[in-house]
Amino acid sequence: MSDSQKDVLIAAYLFEDLAKKDFDAVLQLAENKTITVEGVVLVQKDETGEVNVTETGDHLGRKGVKLGGGVGLVAGLFAPPLLAATAVGAAAGGLMGKFAKHRLESGIGEKMDAALPAGSGGVIAVYDSDGAAAVDKALVNAVKKSVAHIDGGSAKELKAGLAEAQAGMGG
Amino acid sequence: MSDQTIDRTRLPIRRPPFQGVVKRTLDGSEPDWNSIAPTPAPEGAPNVLLVLTDDAGFGNPSGFGGPISTPTFDRLREGGLTYNRFHTTALCSPTRAALLTGRNHHAVGFGMVGEFAGPFPGYSANLPKDCMPFVKTLQGNGYATACFGKWHLTPDNMQGPSGPFDRWPNAVGFDHFWGFLGGESGQFDPMIIENNAATGVPEEEGFYLPDAMADKTIEWIHGVRAHGSEKPWFAYFSTGCSHAPHHVPPEWSDKYKGKFDQGWDRLREETFERQKQGGVVPADAELTPRSESMSAWDSLDENHKRLYARQMEVYAGYCENADWNIGRVIDAIDEMGELENTLVIYIWGDNGASMEGSLTGTFNELTMINGVPLTEEQQLQLVLKWGGLEAWGGEMMGPHYSAAWAWAGNCPFQWGKQVASHLGGTRDPMIVHWPKRIAEQGGLRSQFTHVIDVGPTILEAVGVPEPTHIDGVEQEPMHGTSFVYSLDDEAAAERHTQQYFEILGNRAMYKDGWWLAWMMPRIPWNLDPETLARFAPGVWDPEDDPVELYYLPDDFTQAKNVADQHPDKVEELKKLFWEEAERYDVFPLLGGLTGFYGMRPPIPKESTFTYYGDVQNVAPGMIPRIYNHSYTITADLEIPAGGAEGVIVAEADHLGGFSLFVQDGKLRHTYSFLGVMEFRQESDTPLPTGSVNVRMEFAADAPKPATGGEVTLFVDDEPVGGGRMEHTVPARFSGYAGMDIGRDNGAPVDRNYADKSPFAFTGTVKKVVFDVSPHLTDEHEEELDDHTQHALAAHAINA
Repeated sequence: MSDSQKDVLIAAYLFEDLAKKDFDAVLQLAENKTITVEGVVLVQKDETGEVNVTETGDHLGRKGVKLGGGVGLVAGLFAPPLLAATAVGAAAGGLMGKFAKHRLESGIGEKMDAALPAGSGGVIAVYDSDGAAAVDKALVNAVKKSVAHIDGGSAKELKAGLAEAQAGMGG
Repeated sequence: MSDQTIDRTRLPIRRPPFQGVVKRTLDGSEPDWNSIAPTPAPEGAPNVLLVLTDDAGFGNPSGFGGPISTPTFDRLREGGLTYNRFHTTALCSPTRAALLTGRNHHAVGFGMVGEFAGPFPGYSANLPKDCMPFVKTLQGNGYATACFGKWHLTPDNMQGPSGPFDRWPNAVGFDHFWGFLGGESGQFDPMIIENNAATGVPEEEGFYLPDAMADKTIEWIHGVRAHGSEKPWFAYFSTGCSHAPHHVPPEWSDKYKGKFDQGWDRLREETFERQKQGGVVPADAELTPRSESMSAWDSLDENHKRLYARQMEVYAGYCENADWNIGRVIDAIDEMGELENTLVIYIWGDNGASMEGSLTGTFNELTMINGVPLTEEQQLQLVLKWGGLEAWGGEMMGPHYSAAWAWAGNCPFQWGKQVASHLGGTRDPMIVHWPKRIAEQGGLRSQFTHVIDVGPTILEAVGVPEPTHIDGVEQEPMHGTSFVYSLDDEAAAERHTQQYFEILGNRAMYKDGWWLAWMMPRIPWNLDPETLARFAPGVWDPEDDPVELYYLPDDFTQAKNVADQHPDKVEELKKLFWEEAERYDVFPLLGGLTGFYGMRPPIPKESTFTYYGDVQNVAPGMIPRIYNHSYTITADLEIPAGGAEGVIVAEADHLGGFSLFVQDGKLRHTYSFLGVMEFRQESDTPLPTGSVNVRMEFAADAPKPATGGEVTLFVDDEPVGGGRMEHTVPARFSGYAGMDIGRDNGAPVDRNYADKSPFAFTGTVKKVVFDVSPHLTDEHEEELDDHTQHALAAHAINA
C-alpha cells in the first residue's frame, strides 16, 4: 500500500442493487486507472437483518478473485473472521463471507449494521485522495456518504480513517 | 303519541299532555303509558350510516377507475347510486362542519380548521348553538346516535378534562363517541377519546385504529339493537384514513408491490381511461395536464422512483384497509337483516387527496408543520435512518406521500386539498345505498351536490323536519338542498344550482353549470415567508388574482378555460361570489391565517405548569408552551430502597418529543428533534433513594425559533450532567401524541426503552413542574409568539 494521501469512504444505500452499481462504477474507475484504489467492499444487509460482504475489489479493479494487496487489508479491517473465511473461499475462487455476528476489530461492522436497514447496502472504499472527485461522481446512488482523509495506508491509519468516516455517518 | 301529534319542530320535544285520569288514589285513575314512552322515530325510519374518509381523491377507488381496490365501495355502488358531481369544501374541519350542520362552513365558524380558533366569526372554530348539527335533531327524534373516528371540530385548547365540553361530540347530538378529537392520529398509537374522557393509547399487541373503529361500531350497533328492538340508529363512521401519517400493516401495503412503478404520469392516464370506460367521467372528457410545479416521473432518479413508488403502495394499502373495515360494518348490518332499510351514504374524501407532503413526501409530516425544510437527499437519509423503505408505513415513521401522488389520485382534475377553486380540491365520489327506498341499482347521478346537502337529505329521508329551535335557541335554516329528489329520477333537474367555495383564499363560484375558479396564486405546500408576504394586508388584492371559467356540462374535468370568451359571465360570477361571501361570513379573506399577519391572540401569562399525580394523555395542543424558550422541568420523586426506573414525564415519541426518565439508576433526558436528530444527556452518578428532587434545565441560546441551547441535569440541586441540544422543535412535537406523567404512553421518545414501554416509573412521581422561563423580555415574547402563531397556522393548514 502506498504512502500517499488516501480517502476512506463509507457510502450507504437504500437498495442493495444500487450499491452494487456504484461498487462496479468505482471498480471501473480503478480498472481504467482513473483512480488508485487500495480496496473496495460491497456489503449488504439481507431481509433477515444479517450483514454480509458480498463482493470485494482490488487495486486493479478486479472483483473477488483473491485477497491480495490492499483489498485483503481493507476487508480484514472490517471483518477479521471474514479474512479467515475468505482465505478458504479465495482458494475456491470466491470471496464471500459474513461478519455481522462477530465483534469486529474496527467496530465498523457493528456500526454499519446499525446504520443499514434490511434490504439495503453499503460501499466502503479506500483510494488515493486525488481520485476523490471521480469517486464522488461515480457514487450516484448513495443516500449518505462520509469520507475521512488519512496519510499513508497502514492498518492503524486505516482504522482511524474508518472510525472517522463512520462518525461522519451519524446524525 | 302518534307521529301526527308530535311537534318535531322544537327540540327537545315537549312531554306529551297526559291523556289518562288522575284521582286521589288509584281508585278511578286511568294510566297513560304513552306519557312515559321515549320519543319515537317516525314509523319505518331507516338506520343511517354516514361514512366519510379523509384526504382522498376522486381517482383513488377502483369504483371510480382508481388503482386502489375498494370492494365495499364498489359493492354499494352496484347496489345503489353513484354521484359523480358531489363536492366538499376542500379542507378537513370545514367539510366536517358543513356535513354535520348542513350549513356553509364559514357560517358555522369553520373557514379554517379546529386547531385554529380565529378572531372573526367565519373562523372561530366554535360551532354556533344556532346551527346545531342535524344529528342533534335525529337524537331528539328517537334515534340512537354515535360517532366513531375523527372528529376535528373541537378547538385545540379545549381538549382536556377541564373542557368546556360543549363542542365535544356528546354535546352536539352524539350519544356515544369513540375516536380522536384532532385532525389526525397515528393508526398504531392513537390517543383515544371515549365520550368526554381520554382513555389513552391502547396497549393491545397489534392494535390498529381502523380495525378497532370497525369493531367499536359493530359493537355499538349490536348493543343498540339488543336494548331497543325498534329504535333506528345513526352512525357517523369517520375514518382518519387516508390522512397522514400513512400507517398500515405490511400485509396491506405488500399487495401493491410493483403496482406503481409506472409512476404518477402513467397512473393518471390509466385511471382516466378506466374512469371513462366505467362511466364516472364522460367519454369526451379531457385529462388535465400536470402542473409544472411537479416533476415528470421520467425525470426522477432510481432512488426516488423506488421511494415514491413505495409511498403510493403504502397509501393504497392504507385506503384498501379502510374500505375493508367499512365492509365489515356493512356486513354486520346485513347479518342483522337491517341493510335493506339502512341509508348508507359513503363519501370518499372530505377534500381532494392531500398535497401537503410537498414534492418529496416526508418520513415525518411534523417536519413540514414545524417549517423544518428537508431536501430530497435528507429525506432519503432519514428514510434510511428509520428503517428503509420497508419501514415506510410502519410505526417508526409518520409518513406522507409526494404531492404528485395526490395529484394522480385526484384524476382527472387539477390540484388537490386546500384548493377550493378547482375540482381536484373539492370533488369527491359519493355512493348512496338504500335498497328499501331506491329502486335503481348501479345508477349514476350527475346533479350538482355539495356536502351541505347531506344533512337536509338525511332529515327528509327519515321523515323529520328541520327544527326551528333546539334547546331554546332559534336555529338558522340549513343552507343545503336535499337530494332525495334525485333518488328516483336520473334526469331530474338539479336543485342545488349555486354554491360558493373558499378555503385559504382559493375561491370558486358555481352557478347553473358555470364554474368560476379564482385561485390565490400560491402552491398549496408553499408557506415560506416570501410566499406569504405576497398576500399580506395591503399587498394582496384578491381582485387581481387570475381567473378561470369553465362550463362543466361540456367540460367535466375543467380542462378548457373559457374566461376570455365569456367576460360577462366572469363578471357575473365574481359579483355573485362577493355577495355570497358577505352573506356567509367568508370575510375577511385569509381570516384563518391571521397568525401569519400579526394578528395574535393575547400572549398567555401563565409560565408555571404543575402536574400532581399520574396525569396522562395531555393533548398535544395543551402541553406547556416550552417551544423556543428556556425552561425547566422539576420533579419530586420517591425512590425506594434498591432504586427505581421509568419515565418521569414524556411528551410524544421518537419522531418529536422529550422524555425525562431514570434508567440504569441514572437520570436521563432525551429530546427528539422531529426524528431528524436526537439529543441525550445523563447524570454522572446514580440517583439516591428516598425523597429526591430532580431537574432538567434548558438554557436557550437566544429567544428564537428552534433555538439550540445547553441542558443541565440536577439532583437535589447539584449538577450531575448535561449536554448541548443544537436544535429544538419550534412549534409542535406531534399532531396527536400526548404528554404523560410517570410513563410514556404510545410510541416511546427514546427507543432505548422501547422494550419496556410504557416504562412506568417504579418509584413515585409526586409532582412535576414546568417553568417556562420568565426571563424573556416582552419584545422577545412577542417575537416568539409571532413565530408560534405562524407555526400554528401552518399546522392548522396541514391538519
